[in-house]
Amino acid sequence: MPNEFNINELQLKYLELETLLDITNELNSFDQIPVLLQEILVKSCGVLNASSGLILLEDDNSDVLHIAADFNMDISSLKGLIFNKRKGFISEIHQTRKATHVDVESDIFLSKTNTKYALIAPLLNKKMLVGVLIVLDKESRQGISRFQESDVNMLSAIATQASVAYNNIKLIESIKEAKTFNDNVMQSIVTGVFTTNLMGEINHINRAATTIMNLEKEKVMGNHYEYVFDSNQLINQLITKCELESVTLSESQYLLECNGKSTTINISVSPLLNDINEPIGSVVAMEDLSNLDKLKSTFKKYVSKQIVDQLLENEELLNLGGQEQEATILFSDIRGFTSMSETMSPTEVVETLNEYFNLMIEIIFKYNGTLDKIIGDALMVIFGAPIANEADTKNAVLTAIEMQEKLIEFNQDRIINLKKPIRIGIGINRGKVISGNIGSKQQMNYTVIGDSVNLASRLCSVAKEDEIIVSETVWQQVKGVTNFKSKKLKAVTVKGKAKPIEIKAISYFKPAFHYEQAYGKVENFLIKNLPAEYTYHSIHHVRDVVEQCERIAKKEKVEKSIIADIKLAAWLHDIGYIWEPNRHEARGSEYARIILTELNFPKSKIDLITGMIMATKIPQSPKNEYEEIICDADLDYLGREDYIENSNGLLQEIKLNREITEIDWLNIQDKFLRSHCYFTNESINRRESKKQLRIKIIQEQIINIKNGTSRT
Amino acid sequence: MSDFIKSVKQENGIVIIETNGYLNNTGGEEISAICYEKMANGQFKFLINMAGTKIVNSIGVSIIIEIIEKLQEVDGKIGYYNLAPIVSKTFNIMGLTKYSTVFELEEEAINGL
Repeated sequence: MPNEFNINELQLKYLELETLLDITNELNSFDQIPVLLQEILVKSCGVLNASSGLILLEDDNSDVLHIAADFNMDISSLKGLIFNKRKGFISEIHQTRKATHVDVESDIFLSKTNTKYALIAPLLNKKMLVGVLIVLDKESRQGISRFQESDVNMLSAIATQASVAYNNIKLIESIKEAKTFNDNVMQSIVTGVFTTNLMGEINHINRAATTIMNLEKEKVMGNHYEYVFDSNQLINQLITKCELESVTLSESQYLLECNGKSTTINISVSPLLNDINEPIGSVVAMEDLSNLDKLKSTFKKYVSKQIVDQLLENEELLNLGGQEQEATILFSDIRGFTSMSETMSPTEVVETLNEYFNLMIEIIFKYNGTLDKIIGDALMVIFGAPIANEADTKNAVLTAIEMQEKLIEFNQDRIINLKKPIRIGIGINRGKVISGNIGSKQQMNYTVIGDSVNLASRLCSVAKEDEIIVSETVWQQVKGVTNFKSKKLKAVTVKGKAKPIEIKAISYFKPAFHYEQAYGKVENFLIKNLPAEYTYHSIHHVRDVVEQCERIAKKEKVEKSIIADIKLAAWLHDIGYIWEPNRHEARGSEYARIILTELNFPKSKIDLITGMIMATKIPQSPKNEYEEIICDADLDYLGREDYIENSNGLLQEIKLNREITEIDWLNIQDKFLRSHCYFTNESINRRESKKQLRIKIIQEQIINIKNGTSRT
Repeated sequence: MSDFIKSVKQENGIVIIETNGYLNNTGGEEISAICYEKMANGQFKFLINMAGTKIVNSIGVSIIIEIIEKLQEVDGKIGYYNLAPIVSKTFNIMGLTKYSTVFELEEEAINGL
């Protein structure tokens, strides 16, 4: 054999060093522990001529190791073995923390490997055993042999390098885990958080912060905070001050304006410090208060704002568990709503109920009632739960009275709009109730139950329309209240009660017909319904007639109450144009009779008002002084400076239905003006002469046209 | 066929042995057994496709050297291709490349041997 073919010691040492160098260079390029360990094991076996090898690693939080890598061996015989740190070769190396030869045959673990010789080196982290690198059976051309002492040093060197690389990867993994954990925590919290670096650039932001700021993360990250909060100087000032003075600053109820969205927030800015307490930026936390607002808003659907605020300030007041307590219960119910709703479309029914409930609930909250539930068209209201008050019963009665009073006004509007009025009956009782969250897991509501609640409901059933029926218990609590009056009613027998129940009807002030409010409602009705193409019979004309009626009536010394009726007739005199222009006086009169009857007007007044409406029919035919007033008011403009404007409006309106020539129109005006006469002294004195002048002008125009001379 | 010898084929009068796994004492002896058998049948050109061998030890290398020695006696040749960097480096350090040729790919190896 030629000399050059001999593998000498020098070549082997060179190979060992090269392998060690390779391992050192390559180890830091691995970022996954299994890949790293496999590479270390393969190279260790190669350089040490080992026939096979293993790496065991400790399990987290236990003294047991597991096979993390194997090379060139059948490990099936090892599966199921528990590599305990305190047993066999692992125990020895755990104590010495040095590479060592192991007698395979006598070791409880390695004896299963079907090998003879083992060389083992510890993998350490801060001097603690985290694993072992095992190479088995050193090969030679003569067969298997024991590893040499030089192999011990080599394996120790490799294991040291491997430990460093392994610990680095573990460190990186733990940093990644910590970062992921932090990110997850940050992303899941509802408080908006972002951080700035020493350059003032935003370098971290969580999801809640981007939501609050209404900006995408990409538009915020890397930008200076002064740029991002350009419209929010207060935030810039807080961060700047925090940076300069290294102090925590906060601001409550700040209205953040970002990207077109306004959000009320609480904000705090703190210095961000490194591990040696040097500032490295700022951390900003923003609490979105709109959620609290939403909570308040949701809660406010059931209880008054005052109670919401009290509960939010002092949660101890809120006892939602079951408890027995005194409370006053009010039930109200719309009389005849079922039959009424049969004549209405579903949309109208919903609209009507919503309008009605909105009005009633506003009153309930005004007196700190808790809206327990809406049952169809009925309301159940609690006074005294969840928060009790001395004035609970008084408040319940006040609520009932105001509900009835407001309903009168509400109905006025409905009547004028040709809708059926809503009439309600109310029942109130006070007594012991069980209050608490009652229901199933799927749906649980705060409510009160008990005999007293049932009685309140029964009293509501007894109440006729417009009535407020209270139990004797309620009356005893409120009888001393000034202005509260009651009328004793015949005791009633209610279901579930053996004895008849003493009841009282609470009297309340039923306001007289409120003319001014009615005028406004008719005016709105006209604005909404009069055809827009009417250039004469418009809301302006109606307002003018009303104004002239009042003026003439006052001059004619008509008493105030009648003036109110004349004005009402004036508001209604052209309302028939909405439905039947050709017989609008008759149609308006019919409408007036319907609504005034509903509004409980006496027949004499209804006749007076409808008479005035009918009197305006051309040719005017007033039968009394009031009809004369409305007739004069209706044509007051005939003797006024603004005659031309009014007549032009009328001409346009006539032209909606037919063509008319200039001469024809002049002739019509001439004939009409000449046939017209004012009835009241006031109008005769004030308007007649100007009307005559207008007749002259028109007649001159007619002559000019007939003579072919153009009109000036 | 063992786990280590994946295939043995013949192309252009060259015996191509494909290995898989650790080229150690066992692996080396499996290669030498094939080579000596083929040499006895008058075949003296060998290529080893080492795509599946990621590591060698010096014993495996020494067996290859023994094969080279035998081939030199009969004017035969041996070459290798698809070597992993660490295998290539080991062959180089151990002086194997002085007496045999390392190729990149099979085609180059067949044409160049």
